[in-house]
Amino acid sequence: MKRLMIGLVALAMIATACGGDDDGGGTSLLDTVIERDEVICGGNETLPGFGVVDDAGNFSGFDIDFCRVVAAGVLGDSSKVRFVPLTAEARFTALQSGEIDLLIRNTTWTATRDGQEGANFLFTTFYDGQGLMVPASTGFTTLEDLADANICVLTGTTTELNLTAVFNARGIPFNPVQFEDNTQLRPAYEAGQCNAWTSDASQLAAFKATIEGEGGDEQFIMAEIISKEPLGPVVADGDTAWAQAVEWSVMATVQAWEFGLDSGSIGSYSGTSPNILNFIGDGGFNPTLGLPSDFAVQVVSQVGNYEEIYNRNIIPIGLQLTGSPNDLWTNGGLMYVPPYR
Amino acid sequence: MSQTTLEPPPDVESEQIAWYRNVETLRIVGQVAAVVLVVGLLFWLFNNLLTNLNRLNINTDFGFLSRPTNFQISFDEGFDPRSSVWQMVLVGIKNTFLAGIVGIIIASIVGLVIGIARLSSNWLVSRLATIYVEAFRNIPPLVIIIFFGFAIFTFGPFPVLEEATQISWFGSDNTALVLSNRVWGVPSLIAEDNVGIFWAIFVFAIVAAVGVAIYRTRLSDRTGVLHHRVRWALGTFAIIALAGHFIVGGAFSASWPVVSENGRRIDNGFVLNFGYISTTVALGLYTASHVAEIIRGSILAVPKGQSEAANAIALRAFQRYRYIVLPQALRIALPPTINQYLNLIKNTSLGIAVSYAEITLLTKTSIGNGRPAPQSIAVLMAVYLLFSLTISFLLNIYNRRIQLVER
Repeated sequence: MKRLMIGLVALAMIATACGGDDDGGGTSLLDTVIERDEVICGGNETLPGFGVVDDAGNFSGFDIDFCRVVAAGVLGDSSKVRFVPLTAEARFTALQSGEIDLLIRNTTWTATRDGQEGANFLFTTFYDGQGLMVPASTGFTTLEDLADANICVLTGTTTELNLTAVFNARGIPFNPVQFEDNTQLRPAYEAGQCNAWTSDASQLAAFKATIEGEGGDEQFIMAEIISKEPLGPVVADGDTAWAQAVEWSVMATVQAWEFGLDSGSIGSYSGTSPNILNFIGDGGFNPTLGLPSDFAVQVVSQVGNYEEIYNRNIIPIGLQLTGSPNDLWTNGGLMYVPPYR
Repeated sequence: MSQTTLEPPPDVESEQIAWYRNVETLRIVGQVAAVVLVVGLLFWLFNNLLTNLNRLNINTDFGFLSRPTNFQISFDEGFDPRSSVWQMVLVGIKNTFLAGIVGIIIASIVGLVIGIARLSSNWLVSRLATIYVEAFRNIPPLVIIIFFGFAIFTFGPFPVLEEATQISWFGSDNTALVLSNRVWGVPSLIAEDNVGIFWAIFVFAIVAAVGVAIYRTRLSDRTGVLHHRVRWALGTFAIIALAGHFIVGGAFSASWPVVSENGRRIDNGFVLNFGYISTTVALGLYTASHVAEIIRGSILAVPKGQSEAANAIALRAFQRYRYIVLPQALRIALPPTINQYLNLIKNTSLGIAVSYAEITLLTKTSIGNGRPAPQSIAVLMAVYLLFSLTISFLLNIYNRRIQLVER
């Protein structure tokens, strides 16, 4: 009985963890964030290009920059953000419990997550797809080459489900080896404990660059992409004001790119385009999104437009922007935002 | 000081002592208050959980248990991704049990040997035992597991499976052992068609062995000869079981591990994966250091006169331990050792660090793939509770049986 009690108490602990703000309903997280003067952003710390932490404890990466974008948009200062590194399985619990305001951790938008996890997926910042990487020396080029293979995968990710679905549909037997994070997975892959590594193609490109850069074996990423992985910021369900503030802050980077404004030029815009003048808040245009009227200027001048953020983080890991789905819609890509007027 | 001054007559007591000073009343009030507090706290927390989950539109039912998992489990070929989450939980329980039980066996044997060695009069032996205990006892089990996973397998001496080391069975062509940095293959027995008859003979062998053991005990009681009942019982069992095996014409045949042609899997035999080996051996050796200390303390707790008496009747050192010291020491050692066994079972959850598919890893995988976390964790806790209660229940029965009858 005593042990049962302990079990119940432990369950109850989870209950309290989930009970961050009991009053709910009334106040928006937007007010809480402004009052706190800091955005708490859940991110990755082990993924080159998207979220890494250096020896001095500084975070950098594509996702991390979008956390800064939100801080700049909502609070006017891109440095007012605190990063919480999260594992793949812990991320939604952290979001539900209110431990973080915002989750930008290469998280794929799926129906189950949107529904069951109480998560609200916003503007997709990166269109990715799942690929497979093998050591180049193996000469494998197709999924069929991987029959009976050990395939390294991060546990609790959509890649795990895609892998199972695609290989089963094609009748290719395989054995998944589930790892908790990339710091464990990478040495196992390099030691040959797995024949292949599956993940989002962007991640594989990042690790291919790192492994080869550090003098490891040459790697090959298979041409076949086996899934759609739209990645973007996520907030908790049921808080429209906060969701809108985050979404428009993020979309401002794409809008600025489309207008041809970058971190250097947006502050000194002297043209007469009414759309751009609205966008930079000139003349006091404010669509009452809960954001300061000059939020776009803050976002772009402090962090940069989408292209700058991409060039800073993703180009170094070897993924080109031009011609990819992440290019601007006017260039044939998928980056398209609603008009700001 | 006489007794009468301290204890007033009963009728006076009830009239004179106010309720708030009456120990009897206070005891009841205290108990009730504690219960109300605990139940109230639990209710509040649980209510909090439900309210918040409802507010966030998150399901609170357990229907997810019957829906398919949609993922495959490491090194478990039989697991179909269409199986329900329930079946995943069962696989997790099986893997946790396999790691736990083998870990317990390793911990018991190594712990007993090291515990005795620590008391050895041989300087070198006792020092080595001390080093062992201090080394393992003072390192967190997670670190030891990661060390085994990385040092033995990932960065260790074993080749990749395609070039696995194959060790033959004493001169024959059969491979007895396949070693790689991913999986190890060992021979196993596979049942033939006529195994049913064999199991019947097997049961008969057990019954016969128990009968012989009882007979030897009675004989010993009657005549005073040493009973050697374990030896007799095992012998009887082995002879009948082996005879049964041959009478039915080979109920089992050996299955030798073979690396498949593409070098990616081991066919036949019994396959152990690196996560399992790391978890089991690391936890076994770690827990052994604690068990060794318990054994050492228990041996020291046996009165010195017992050993001296054994020496006086000229028993050899082995006999002294086997018949005099250990039976008394193990009686003392059992309760704290049960505790260590429970710890070992719970520590198998650290197998996640070397991607061993035990119940915690599977639960986390399942949560990451969209199953509700509170319910999944509740199931996980129930599983560990079940393990702990079962083990302590069984061992407590055993403990009560071997306990000295005291008056």
